[in-house]
Amino acid sequence: MLENLLTHSAFEILTLSDRAAQALAENPWEAAGYTLLALGGTGAFLSLLGMALIYVERKVAAHFQCRLGPMRVGWHGMLQSIADALKLLQKEDIIPEKADKLLFFLAPVFSIIATVLALIIIPMSPSLQVVDLNIGVIFISAVGGFGVLGILLAGWSSNNKWSLLGAMRAGAQFISYEISVTLSLLVITLLAGSLQLSEIVQSQQDGWWIWRGHIVGVVAFFVFIISSTAELNRPPFDLPEAESELTGGFHTEYSGLRFSFFFLAEFINMFIASALGATLFFGGWMPFHIGGFETFNSIMDLIPPGLWFAGKTAFIVFLMMWVRWTFPRLRVDQLMRLEWKFLLPVGFINLFAAATIVLTKLYFFPGQ
Amino acid sequence: MGYIDTKKSTKAKVTTVGNTPINVVIAPRSPSGADSESLLTTIFKSVKSLFVGMKVTIGYLVRPSTVVTQQYPENRETLKMFDRFRGQLRLIKDENNYMNCNGCNFCEIACPNGSIVITDQRNPVNEKLELERFLWRLDSCTFCNACLQACPHDALEWSDGFEAAVYDRRLLVYTLNDYAGPPVKAINRAKKKEDRVEELLATMEPRKQYGGPVPLAGRKMPGVPALETENTKDNASPKHK
Amino acid sequence: MAVKISTLEERISVPAEGDNPLNTQEYFINMGPQHPATHGVLRLMLKLDGETVREVIPVLGYIHRGIEKIGEHQTYRQFVHLTDRCDYLSAMMNNWAVSLMVEKAMQTQLNDRIEYIRTIMAELERIQSHMLWWGVLGMDLGAFTPFLYGFRDREMITDIFEETIGCRLTMNYIQPGGLMDDIHPNFVKRVKDVIAYAKPKIDEYEELLSGNVIIQERLRNVGTITAEQATSLGVTGPVLRASGVALDLRRVAPYGAYGQVDFEVAVGSVGDCWDRYWVRVEEIRQSFRIIEQLIDNIPAGKTMLSKPAKKIILPEGSHYAQLETARGILGIYAVSDGKSENPVRIHMRSPNYHNVWSVDAMTRNARIGDLVANISSLDIVVPDIDR
Repeated sequence: MLENLLTHSAFEILTLSDRAAQALAENPWEAAGYTLLALGGTGAFLSLLGMALIYVERKVAAHFQCRLGPMRVGWHGMLQSIADALKLLQKEDIIPEKADKLLFFLAPVFSIIATVLALIIIPMSPSLQVVDLNIGVIFISAVGGFGVLGILLAGWSSNNKWSLLGAMRAGAQFISYEISVTLSLLVITLLAGSLQLSEIVQSQQDGWWIWRGHIVGVVAFFVFIISSTAELNRPPFDLPEAESELTGGFHTEYSGLRFSFFFLAEFINMFIASALGATLFFGGWMPFHIGGFETFNSIMDLIPPGLWFAGKTAFIVFLMMWVRWTFPRLRVDQLMRLEWKFLLPVGFINLFAAATIVLTKLYFFPGQ
Repeated sequence: MGYIDTKKSTKAKVTTVGNTPINVVIAPRSPSGADSESLLTTIFKSVKSLFVGMKVTIGYLVRPSTVVTQQYPENRETLKMFDRFRGQLRLIKDENNYMNCNGCNFCEIACPNGSIVITDQRNPVNEKLELERFLWRLDSCTFCNACLQACPHDALEWSDGFEAAVYDRRLLVYTLNDYAGPPVKAINRAKKKEDRVEELLATMEPRKQYGGPVPLAGRKMPGVPALETENTKDNASPKHK
Repeated sequence: MAVKISTLEERISVPAEGDNPLNTQEYFINMGPQHPATHGVLRLMLKLDGETVREVIPVLGYIHRGIEKIGEHQTYRQFVHLTDRCDYLSAMMNNWAVSLMVEKAMQTQLNDRIEYIRTIMAELERIQSHMLWWGVLGMDLGAFTPFLYGFRDREMITDIFEETIGCRLTMNYIQPGGLMDDIHPNFVKRVKDVIAYAKPKIDEYEELLSGNVIIQERLRNVGTITAEQATSLGVTGPVLRASGVALDLRRVAPYGAYGQVDFEVAVGSVGDCWDRYWVRVEEIRQSFRIIEQLIDNIPAGKTMLSKPAKKIILPEGSHYAQLETARGILGIYAVSDGKSENPVRIHMRSPNYHNVWSVDAMTRNARIGDLVANISSLDIVVPDIDR
């Protein structure tokens, strides 16, 4: 099994679920091994990446603000996130007296489950993907909606007016911005001609959609990045939390482990949104190719696909952090105005333009 | 609607208040009327303003030299306070550890909230009033400097120690004088006259920095163990002398 | 005019719902005393209809320390240090107000050195107060980075205070009859350095926050109070000037060295949050102008005219003096019996106490986000409200 994993050729797509299915007939134990690897790998990836992202966010924020950030635990505070995680685990588990106990317990679980579900279909490299659904793009939108359920439940079950306000804001915000996200996802679906994420990546063999789709691609990317930031509840769209307005919003009453679930889900969701953006617009693990320039393309292929994916995702993550630590927050009605009066029309016009471009084959390298 | 150009303030002269004309500068507003801009210009300026803001923050990120925070306590050795810094109150002592303070109570009177309590005694040798104990309560001190201003004998000064945190509130009540006895002036006078100097010096009694349990706000504290006076050094000794 | 007085319980009782099932219920919510946006321990009772604020009832007293009452048992010199603890961001100006009152009552003539240093110090204090406010406004509106920038630049000015005075926040520097201490030999150089450093930073503030379209959208036409409303509420300071009333005691009734310097009073035209924001940023610039005019010409002279040992006994009767702090007009009113060192009654007309009541007029039928912007644009220091 290990041999199989290592000797795999670079650009042949083989997800963990495919491997498990292949191995099932011959050796059920190997299939079980792949399943365990997928489960354990996702879990470990989730927590490690969460902590790493929290550390990076703190460091980036600090240097934006003329500070150093965490410096004490480990070299340049590398282990700070682990120390914080341990602290959160040890904290007293407080449930408000008048809270709806069951929902209060379930809300963070919903939140983290949605995150895990979205994480499994991200193609990080040809062989590093858990499941490759043929409705990948729709699946992402669907499980994204599951996450907001956790936020709504958290706000409701806390029995706190501030939490409820935050949850209602989150609901309204998510429903509004989901439309724009879907519209920009549809643009890429039209261009790639598939809903399957691996096929979308492979359709970018001649170039990434952001430049092959020129104007349409760029507009779709900006709509995607704005509205997915809004879906993530990150500043400048962090109205559901809005600490200076709602004292923490939907997670006001949460502490300890439950709070860390929300926190982790928020950061992993940021990764998922960035990874999705990288996959759809920047070719995912696909190296930088220009159709026809075979020599150039083969040089680019020397860099392993996993690194391409990591680099592109890191770029979008940094972009989101940069925006977060620069801009103030919008007001709730301005947020709605931005979506319904600006992004939605732009998204629709862009979708029509994309359809026109696909029909008339006006994008770059249409033939191959 | 409309993007506000922050540099477009207008100047004017008004005489609304009183009779003197006042030069005013009026805040810029979004362009209206004849100046109003098209929607496209507004959108362009608005989007541009976002990028200008992002330029400012990235400018700090890429220049680590702009970091202004200090790494305390790693920089303890190099950290220097300003010379007038009001850290902790102390009595000025000369090279023989004789103090200037003669217990005249001026600082106690000047103190706005009773942070200084002075007890006097009469010296059996020269029959003069002298300092027995100078109590300074850091916990209630507001660092207003009134005591230093009131002191006619130049007996008080501020140290630059700022690490005053302790685990026991009673450790914040300091006895500032090392000894109960005559001030340097009286000793010098005695030396000059050669009048019972040895006897005078013999009247000096040592005083500890912490004089045992001190009732807080005039109350006894039942169940509180007595203050360790021997090893209190590590608790509250100011690092910066 | 009859004033209807109602208790808090009466005001927060929710009326019974109507028969229409579509009627939504208004509800009350406590904003504070522990809330990040209320800058301390201000408590606001909000009557909300969904996100819309119907009424704001400020509830005061959570940091009442009885400073005025304590002042009746202290000498005027001792009382000065208590005023540090009211509006701690204009501590120097609070000190000055008491000193001004005492000097006016005693008819003390001060020399130019004292007046110049007092003016420079007060303007430095105003700048650092406005810098802090600028950062806090950014943080209240969701941008955390300006908070750190504001603090960073303010530290430069508190360093100046620390070098000359020894304290950074509650300084007790300006005292009846002069100054507590002469300026430090490095003072002039350090002030010039700070001006050279901070002036470009103000332009950076403009790029980062003032010019940002989100900030403009959050502030413009939010929390408008007209000049009539502002004057009838007794609002002073930048809040009043933003409504278009050019009442600045530094100009209208000059004290200190303000009569000898040239500066412009920043005013607004509408009275919304944007005007209040811009007025304060412009005041930083004007304060730099004032300091630049004075810093090179500090005359020689004594810095303390009254001996600390001498008792200050004001003539019998009532005495009043007022000046412009960073937040508005601070008046000190004292009644003396002509015999005792202590005042019979001492009262502070604090700017924040009068400004805070305008928050209701500003916020009616606005959103919660607007309420936060309004509180922030008022620049409230809560200890000064309760004293």
